[in-house]
Amino acid sequence: MAKILEGPAMKLFDKWGIPVPNYVVIMDPERLLQLGEANKWLRDSKLVVKAHEAIGGRFKLGLVKIGLNLEEAYEAAKEMIGRKIETAEIRQVIVAEMLEHDAEYYLSIAGNRDGAELLLSQKGGVDIEDNWDTVKRLQIPLDVTPSIEDLTETAKSAGFEGEVAERVAKIASRLILCFDNEDAQSIEINPLVIRKSDMRFAALDAVMNVDWDARFRHADWDFKPVSEIGRPFTEAEQQIMEIDARIKGSVKFVEVPGGEIALLTAGGGASVFYSDAVVARGGTIANYAEYSGDPSDWAVEALTETICQLPNIKHIIVGGAIANFTDVKATFGGIINGFRASKANGYLDGVKIWVRRGGPNENQGLAAIKKLADEGFDIHVYDRTMPMTDIVDLALKA
Amino acid sequence: MSILANKDTKVVIIGGVAGVNAAKRMAQFDFLVNRSLSVQAFVYPPEEGQQKEIYRGGELNNISVYSTLKDALQENPQINTALIYLGASRAAQSAKEALESENITLVSMITEGVPEKDAKKLRALAINMGKMFNGPSSIGIMSAGECRLGVIGGEFKNLKLCNLYRAGSFGVLTKSGGLSNEAMWLCAQNGNGVTSAVAIGGDSYPGTDFVTYLEMFEKDPETKAVVMVGEVGGTLEEEAADWLGAEKRRIRLIAAIGGTCQEVLPQGMKFGHAGAKEGKKGLGSARSKINALREAGAVVPDTFGGLSKAIKQVYEELIANGSIKPEADIDEALLPALPPKVQEIMKQGDVIVEPLIRTTISDDRGEEPRYVGYAASELCEKGYGIEDVLALLWNKKLPSREESEIIKRIVMISADHGPAVSGAFGAILGACAGIDMPQAVSAGMTMIGPRFGGAVTNAGKYFAHGVKEFPNDIPGFLTWMKQNVGPVPGIGHRVKSLKNPDKRVKYLVDYVLNQTTLHMPCLEYALEVEKVTTAKKDNLILNVDGTIGCILVDLDFPEQSLNGFFVLARTIGMIGHWIDQTSQQSRLIRLYDYLINYAVKDEREVPEKK
Repeated sequence: MAKILEGPAMKLFDKWGIPVPNYVVIMDPERLLQLGEANKWLRDSKLVVKAHEAIGGRFKLGLVKIGLNLEEAYEAAKEMIGRKIETAEIRQVIVAEMLEHDAEYYLSIAGNRDGAELLLSQKGGVDIEDNWDTVKRLQIPLDVTPSIEDLTETAKSAGFEGEVAERVAKIASRLILCFDNEDAQSIEINPLVIRKSDMRFAALDAVMNVDWDARFRHADWDFKPVSEIGRPFTEAEQQIMEIDARIKGSVKFVEVPGGEIALLTAGGGASVFYSDAVVARGGTIANYAEYSGDPSDWAVEALTETICQLPNIKHIIVGGAIANFTDVKATFGGIINGFRASKANGYLDGVKIWVRRGGPNENQGLAAIKKLADEGFDIHVYDRTMPMTDIVDLALKA
Repeated sequence: MSILANKDTKVVIIGGVAGVNAAKRMAQFDFLVNRSLSVQAFVYPPEEGQQKEIYRGGELNNISVYSTLKDALQENPQINTALIYLGASRAAQSAKEALESENITLVSMITEGVPEKDAKKLRALAINMGKMFNGPSSIGIMSAGECRLGVIGGEFKNLKLCNLYRAGSFGVLTKSGGLSNEAMWLCAQNGNGVTSAVAIGGDSYPGTDFVTYLEMFEKDPETKAVVMVGEVGGTLEEEAADWLGAEKRRIRLIAAIGGTCQEVLPQGMKFGHAGAKEGKKGLGSARSKINALREAGAVVPDTFGGLSKAIKQVYEELIANGSIKPEADIDEALLPALPPKVQEIMKQGDVIVEPLIRTTISDDRGEEPRYVGYAASELCEKGYGIEDVLALLWNKKLPSREESEIIKRIVMISADHGPAVSGAFGAILGACAGIDMPQAVSAGMTMIGPRFGGAVTNAGKYFAHGVKEFPNDIPGFLTWMKQNVGPVPGIGHRVKSLKNPDKRVKYLVDYVLNQTTLHMPCLEYALEVEKVTTAKKDNLILNVDGTIGCILVDLDFPEQSLNGFFVLARTIGMIGHWIDQTSQQSRLIRLYDYLINYAVKDEREVPEKK
């Protein structure tokens, strides 16, 4: 899953013939004035300025300004760029033509196991949640392209009439083409607006998720996906992501501010169960972490050091299932080095470490990490006979 | 009994090195359960025609690599299962081809990062063809006592610890690969082990769902209960709950569902497998799955750690109601042990292997090479030079400072003798013919022999003989040489003479005798011989080969090493000539006709062949 910003989504819409308003994405407010000299629409239309960042609830944060002329848009851009919202900084704004319109519609498509589902409503805009019962659905089986007639039927069943129904069906067919050919997972256009005087349509807002795993077949994807965790990534998270991109196997890390239990866990399935166990026992996690697929020891070492630097942690859970092919001795070698380096740098004071793991070379790995006790670490080591998440229970009782 | 894979399963692995590693693991399992080799062929175009060495216990099998699946299946019609180990960009096409192949009924894919659209299409294709598609992102499928598909089950020791050599009563279904292994272990520890275990992969759209496999387990009489490990995202667990609750089922269901932590995490914060994503309005949340499963009658502990107790409880109930008759565990000692590698048993001292070669000078098994015990970097650091390394490797001892100065000078003055001599000319001919450095230098090197550069060894050898057998009797030595050898090696020069001495010899002799404190009996003996021979003829001087030979004998170098100084020194020169010619882009050399005396027969007609 990869959410993309409005700018790149608009570009893909335009590519597939879905009508979009005129827009520009800028990082420097001065650039807007220069663009204004070159583009008539910037001078003549009412404009909307939106922060072009992965920040939820932009309207409430004052990061969407509407009904502006070029001068006001320039001022709005100047005010937004550089603003800090928690850990995020606004670096770009999108300035779009605010099309005067007569109606707001809702049009979306989302993938499911058997294909995709198209959703259509006449009651688009901010009130769509309240009008969810007006939404008409059309399941589109895999490899099937619905005919314009079918789509017109769906549009009519949603209350669209005459030429508008036909035009909405046409836009829907292009949306399906875009969805299918761009390996999208979901696209939501809300609102899709119409100016009836000249029957002009435009997608005024776009929320699009593409399948990042399919990027190998999309040479023109020049964008990066935005953070999937509801906020921009921290520096430490970005560092681990950079390592992750370079190695076989993987290392993952997400900070959860305020938690007391740090996780240094293995495997995409087991790591989630460790987080669950902490929560189920009334604890708070300081992070989510995962190493899997037999990553290099240095990558695990870097992950370990990152975790040891989390503030105010009381326990570190070095947990994992019985690995199929991740070498316990080798990965624990990285963890041991990470612990040693962290301790030497003044971390881990008063932190208890709880270990449970199995897999290739488990005996050597567990014996090696157990020896850290001789170096003054507060470490408790268990083998496969300890139920996987029970070290969390022990930690929270300690 | 089992589902999906059994003793008749025969496999083609599509993919490179990861696939070969899986085949090795699978063959270990084949050995443990004493079945025939399950992997019959590989498909990997870059390595077409190669054979991969796969050990089933001590038995070595050579498994062919084909460039197309069609070829592999044509030659191996017994194959009914394909495992995909290719990268994400090629995996889907390959799986499609496998599903469309007549004999193949099951395709399992380990590849991670397969685009969702491709996975969905493969799922639909499998359903249409009436075949099974498992994965993507699946660690594999295990049928205890029968068949292992992929690396599921981990190392050999773990196969035994999880009782995978024989069937138990529990089926295992997981999304995660690591947890499939964990669940098999839990079933062995708290129950009697597994029938089959299937990892379906953690992607958003797995090829086969939990319900399909639950149906299969329900039909397998040996499976009495199923341990299912699910997680937040999708609706496969809810569907499993619906299936369980729909009618009375023969099998019991024990489940663990991951992802309840998302309830308390900041909104939008998600992690884990690609498919572990909650939908709108709590659809697919861990909580809704847990509730649905519990309502349908499944045993669902609060945490994963609680699975041990849950399995034990169900196992005891199944024994109590007679569904399971407990079997005694097989004595570990009766199970086959993987034949160890020679290195391992040698370490334990249980076997003697006669070495093929013996070395006394050099060892690079540690962090860096050691020459006769000394670490190369330490020699560098303590100021030793190439002449000391030479002495270590050729004579196994470090020379004194005076000795190494002499060695250095010998190499320096012998390094080259111009382009005209046989060795350099050979190398130049090669360079001009455009051949590479090692070959061109070897061409020059082949010239070294009795007429060119080969006299050092013999000079040293015979002067040493003289010192020993004819001390103070030069005439006796010369008579002996005349009778037994011929001209004295190291004596005589084509152009140089007493009046026109060889500068190099003069310098070396002067340096060795006057600038060092070393005792040089052999060199002094040779100089005495020279006095006698030059009295007979002016050019019978001690030449450079003789001088070097004698000095090296005096430095205690072994006789057979002496020619090495010439070989080494001239290599420096020949490499220089090759570089020189190559950087000038010299043209190919051909002798001019006027440099050849064509002493041949006159032109004549070839007679008819009889």
